[in-house]
Amino acid sequence: MKILVVDDQELNRNLLQHMLKFEGFDVVLAENGRQAIDKCKQEQPDLVLLDVVMPEMDGYETAPLLKKLSTEVYLPIIFITALGDQDSLRRCLEVGGDDFLNKPFDRVILQAKIKAHSRIRALSMKTFEQNKELDFYRLKTEREHQIVEHIFNRALEGNYHIPHLLDYHLSPASMFNGDIMLVALGPTGNLYVMMGDFTGHGLSSAVGTLPVSRTFYTMTQKGLAVGDIAKEINDILLTLLPDDMFCAATIVELSSKGQSLSVWAGGTPDMYIVDDEIGIKTHINSQHMALGILEEDEFDISTENYSVNSNERLFIATDGVVESFDTDNQMFGYERLTALLNDKSQNSIEQIVNALTEFRGNAEQDDDISILSLRCGAVNSDVDNFDDIYSSLPHRMALDLTIEQIKHADPVVELIDMLTFLKGAEFHRSTLFLLLSEAYNNAVDHGLLRLDSKIKDHEDGFIEYYVQRAERLEQLQDGLIQVSIEYDPATTCIHFIVSDSGSGFNVNHIDVDIESDHEHGRGNVLLRELATSVSYNETGNQIKIVYKLNNNPLYHE
Amino acid sequence: MSLTTSTSPDGQTFTIQIKGKFDFNLVQAFRSAYTEVNDNLAMVVVDLRETEYMDSSALGMLLNMQKTLNGKVNAIKISNCRPQIKKILQISRFDKKFDID
Repeated sequence: MKILVVDDQELNRNLLQHMLKFEGFDVVLAENGRQAIDKCKQEQPDLVLLDVVMPEMDGYETAPLLKKLSTEVYLPIIFITALGDQDSLRRCLEVGGDDFLNKPFDRVILQAKIKAHSRIRALSMKTFEQNKELDFYRLKTEREHQIVEHIFNRALEGNYHIPHLLDYHLSPASMFNGDIMLVALGPTGNLYVMMGDFTGHGLSSAVGTLPVSRTFYTMTQKGLAVGDIAKEINDILLTLLPDDMFCAATIVELSSKGQSLSVWAGGTPDMYIVDDEIGIKTHINSQHMALGILEEDEFDISTENYSVNSNERLFIATDGVVESFDTDNQMFGYERLTALLNDKSQNSIEQIVNALTEFRGNAEQDDDISILSLRCGAVNSDVDNFDDIYSSLPHRMALDLTIEQIKHADPVVELIDMLTFLKGAEFHRSTLFLLLSEAYNNAVDHGLLRLDSKIKDHEDGFIEYYVQRAERLEQLQDGLIQVSIEYDPATTCIHFIVSDSGSGFNVNHIDVDIESDHEHGRGNVLLRELATSVSYNETGNQIKIVYKLNNNPLYHE
Repeated sequence: MSLTTSTSPDGQTFTIQIKGKFDFNLVQAFRSAYTEVNDNLAMVVVDLRETEYMDSSALGMLLNMQKTLNGKVNAIKISNCRPQIKKILQISRFDKKFDID
């Protein structure tokens, strides 16, 4: 322990130095206040013995400056004084002194005072260290929260941009939301919306939202029914969540024309279909238990279906709404909510949120609050907006399929998978498949195997045809099919060229009558209708199909 | 690619669900799926919700099914088609022969 002794009289300095060294302390000396401040900076003493009356800078002036040098940790200042009057002593305390030591010095009192103050300093240092550590952890936690928040934002990033149908308000009680709202477009232009509420709120309940959102987006992309989506999420939560945690949820599907609504709801508050003129038209109660409770074989995927129209909205809220309390501990309740919904001048999401905020007053929000309203109108899936995202690069791929590959591989899906990596092609996947599949199968069936489509017209001919196909393919000795796929960015056209090593056929005899009841020839009609153009070479062993991605009438009906 | 079948609890509706690719590789499986149905069934549903691809051989298979089941069931419905699949069915005038939703 280091002690700074400040006294203008050499005798006093020496005496104190002697006493302190004898006790085992390190001692630093200063002759006046100015020197004391320099020494304090250099030596970082643990305690200061400070004379009051000194030339240059006296003790009253020095004490506050010394205190300033050590703001974080307590630096005890003990005044050395011969002054006994109250005023002088009071002034010592006012300028920051912590104690007094009277001249002449008493060894025992000096020792006691130093001990007492060094104990306080030790405590102060410990607190300082702990604060530093706390600060460190606080910053670390903040940083971790930021990372987690980032992950959540990315994971939950969905298609919220359907302003003509969807209005919503999400208000978490803490930084992380245990409520979840997910929106996705399905492959048939249908719209899926999920509103979920995990047990509790805050980070612990928000973690569940990650697997839920992933599952939701995967399943909606496949266009599954809401009951099946619910089952899938239930299974995931059952595996991941602890027993006492679950998710009350509503999953709805609005058909692309906005005429039918399919609802699976488990453990959620009532929902309402609200007509613009007459108010609440239908109450929808949840029919199931919340997600993450029932075992796979107990789970019920049945849904409720409603016919709806564009004058109606579906209103969904988590229990944070009706279970909001005001300062008198009164609950907002269903009555207030349905009264608002029945009043057409009061029932926008914004008005309901305002009413709720006003009701709550100064009472704290103790649960996550989420409200959404879904207008039951035509979804207008954004397919049109993909017009400007076609690849601007020319692409070309070509492959020669040998007899072994023709026998054992099924190249069409693989090629379409590759082709749909092309920007803008994904939305034409099924059509592109059909085009290439028809061309390729014609090359195999008729070009190489010389199968006659008329077989299909006989009773049970269809099966017969494919039995013969398998037999002939097995016996085929040699053959080659060449597939070339080119994409021209200027026209957004994909060119398929499929040639076979067969002897071709008379291209004028291609059957294109769709109304005929013939089992064959249907493929050619489809080709002509779906492709931008179809042509054959003279010998009839090469077909060329052009398909324009942009302005395909399929998306502009 | 896969084919699954199910019968509704009341025994009235028989559903064939096709996942992924609906083409001639399913000829046998598809035929044996509907030959099993009993005579007093109200409706057969071909659920194409998860069908990504189909070509003209699938159309042939559907027509074959219709010929076989004609008179045995009240209705054959093709349901949950994606837009591009629906387009293929429309071009082939299947809306005249099947109930497509």
